[in-house]
Amino acid sequence: MCAASVIPGTTLGATRRIRTISGAATGQLARQRPAQPVALSEAEAIRLAQAGNAAAFEFLYQLHGRRVYALCLRMMGNPADAEDLMQEAFLQLFRKIGTFRGESAFSTWLHRMTVNVVLMRLRKKSLPTDSLEETLDPDAENSGPKRDVGAPDLRLSGAVDRVNLERSIEKLPPGYRTVFVLHDVQGYEHNEIADIMGCSVGNSKSQLHKARTRLRELLQEEIRQQARDERKAAKTPSGSLE
Amino acid sequence: MQCKELESILETQGLEQLPQDARLHLATCGACQGLVADLDSIVSAAKSLPAEVAPPDRIWISLRAQLEAEGLIKEPVEVSEQSSWWESFTAWMKPRTFATVTAVALVLAAAVYVTRHTHNSPSGVAKNQPAVESPRPAPPQVTSSAPAPSNTPVNVPSKGPRPSKTKELAPSPSESASFTLDQAELDVPNMQLAGNSQVDAALRQNLRTLNAFIAECEQHLKQNPQDELAREYLNTAYQQKADLLAAMMESGRGDN
Repeated sequence: MCAASVIPGTTLGATRRIRTISGAATGQLARQRPAQPVALSEAEAIRLAQAGNAAAFEFLYQLHGRRVYALCLRMMGNPADAEDLMQEAFLQLFRKIGTFRGESAFSTWLHRMTVNVVLMRLRKKSLPTDSLEETLDPDAENSGPKRDVGAPDLRLSGAVDRVNLERSIEKLPPGYRTVFVLHDVQGYEHNEIADIMGCSVGNSKSQLHKARTRLRELLQEEIRQQARDERKAAKTPSGSLE
Repeated sequence: MQCKELESILETQGLEQLPQDARLHLATCGACQGLVADLDSIVSAAKSLPAEVAPPDRIWISLRAQLEAEGLIKEPVEVSEQSSWWESFTAWMKPRTFATVTAVALVLAAAVYVTRHTHNSPSGVAKNQPAVESPRPAPPQVTSSAPAPSNTPVNVPSKGPRPSKTKELAPSPSESASFTLDQAELDVPNMQLAGNSQVDAALRQNLRTLNAFIAECEQHLKQNPQDELAREYLNTAYQQKADLLAAMMESGRGDN
């Protein structure tokens, strides 16, 4: 009998829908099955989560968790920190979900919280490479990657593989890294990134370009290092050990 | 156009849709060609990276535990407060629960029968003997809002076919079955059923539970006459009641 109440858009009231997704979530803690997206829209899930419905919380987690985890993983570079920060981001989200009014997209709101949590952690870690202030301010003279325009470059075409790129992304300053991952990996538009990062669209574009050029340098350095290693190995013949 | 100007355009407009003068510069400048080609390679490689990664299950488990600890999850209260009696009833009528109640009723009836025939003594003697050790069954709760008819006979309206398993109580015409059930029940409050207060109470409790279900079914059928499932439940409840009354009357006759 309750199966009929699974279908949204019928004349069933909110009570029935609460019951339906509650029923769908029975035992999910143990089995960790994903929520059934057909039974619930994101807007409904948000409304139910605002009322404290556990299945709605899980629905939202399943809906966005994979992207948030990917972001945390790329930003932090290790799974332990990524897990910690993902949990922290969702916890903050669910604590504040009652204040969500739909003025921005829910995913944007969630990513903003995630980015804030991640950058806060990175600030505490105080990475020795670049300060956040430098990398987040595109107008600062020292902020961008240094490049001699017109100087001979090592061409990357064909040499950029996923491993090299992942390694180089980890070396990017946090501000650049965030914009690059959001735009080029996760596919967000500049206006969304501006919303997430709390900056202008122009700033987001500028950050992205600087992130790309910095990556280029890092990748070039990676390739040079590989070439040096190969030369070193070639100079050490197998017979020299005898 | 100079190389710096091209880079400025790349910064503000990205790699797509370069203006005409920028494209002209690119055609003649090897360094800028290299730059744009490399940036294209990076963008292409970035798009091949997975945008989603499955997080470990333990994150949700831990997160949910924290949400519960902070009281952010309030689901059970919300559901139980607003669920209707019919939902509770259908939940109760799930096969396992139903079978349990049936089994309890049958076991009690058998226990009463065996007790009577084993001791073969008047009820006054049996009262003083704590010989019957059948545990007190715990009948399932219907709902907090369910009517509690106690020992008041329920007037069963004649709707649909009635069970006819028990020949003494429920002959084939369904209308008379309902009447017969009511008549049989009238004697129950005066019966000394098992001579054991616990078993006696359990039998009466089962009867009250069944009466409550029947009343709920009837009420639901009045509102939704086409509900076949409710009608089926009602018929099953009639049958249960007939069996239970038969067992009760059997033990009552044994006393007299």
